[in-house]
Amino acid sequence: MNTTGTPNNSAPSVGVTESLRKPLYSVVNAKEAFEIEVELPGVSKSGVSIDLEEDILSVRGERSGTAPDGWKALHRELSSLNYQLRLRVTTPVDVEKIVAKLEEGILKVTLPIKAAAQARRIEVA
Amino acid sequence: MKIARCTPAFQFGRTTDLGPWLRHPLAGFPAMAQLFEDLLPAAAVSSNPAADLHEDTDHYYARFEIPGIKKEAVKIELHDRVLQVSAERRVKVGETESTKTVSRALALPDTVQETGISAKLEDGILTVTLPKQESCKPKVITVN
Repeated sequence: MNTTGTPNNSAPSVGVTESLRKPLYSVVNAKEAFEIEVELPGVSKSGVSIDLEEDILSVRGERSGTAPDGWKALHRELSSLNYQLRLRVTTPVDVEKIVAKLEEGILKVTLPIKAAAQARRIEVA
Repeated sequence: MKIARCTPAFQFGRTTDLGPWLRHPLAGFPAMAQLFEDLLPAAAVSSNPAADLHEDTDHYYARFEIPGIKKEAVKIELHDRVLQVSAERRVKVGETESTKTVSRALALPDTVQETGISAKLEDGILTVTLPKQESCKPKVITVN
């Protein structure tokens, strides 16, 4: 029943294009909820936005910790690009009960599956 | 007198123990190694976090991306002018739990003063502040 997929993650082709990168993530389909973990190092709580529009869950993370003024780069591996993750959620979820928590650069989003869509065991009479 | 090079020669290393697989008799047979790895219930996964290095007039700043790691789990060691950052993270996916180790080494040039190194962890990014030797800071000489 987990039909979470990844629709187009790139920026729209019209208008201002911003380079974004797709963060590392994992989705666990627990019995009553989807548990999504997204790695967002360098993003503070205020920089995270989560939207569920129709069946697309968008997670955006604005990186706050790019190099401060006066720092001269000697070696660079960390990207300063913002993060964007778009997931298609085809199982009905309880929008009111979605919770999200950001801890040490990891965002945990819990999407409770609507009772009617949960798997049920049917006993043979 | 000690002569210190003031142009820094930092060296990032990946001196992590890549696990027994490279020394394993079956090293080079990834499929076989994978098979063995799959048999281990909680295989330790090891990786090298991305890092960068900056400087200003008084300090160098080394940053490491280590999301999901708590302050208490970070270990920073300095040995023979090599700064080793390592941390363990418990990863729980559903029922299975595993330990993921991240590790990265940075060879420090003589221009770093070993005393006064400090570190800060914020939003999954570890910043290690390395003070420069007095002799390497730019000096302003005033004309009398």
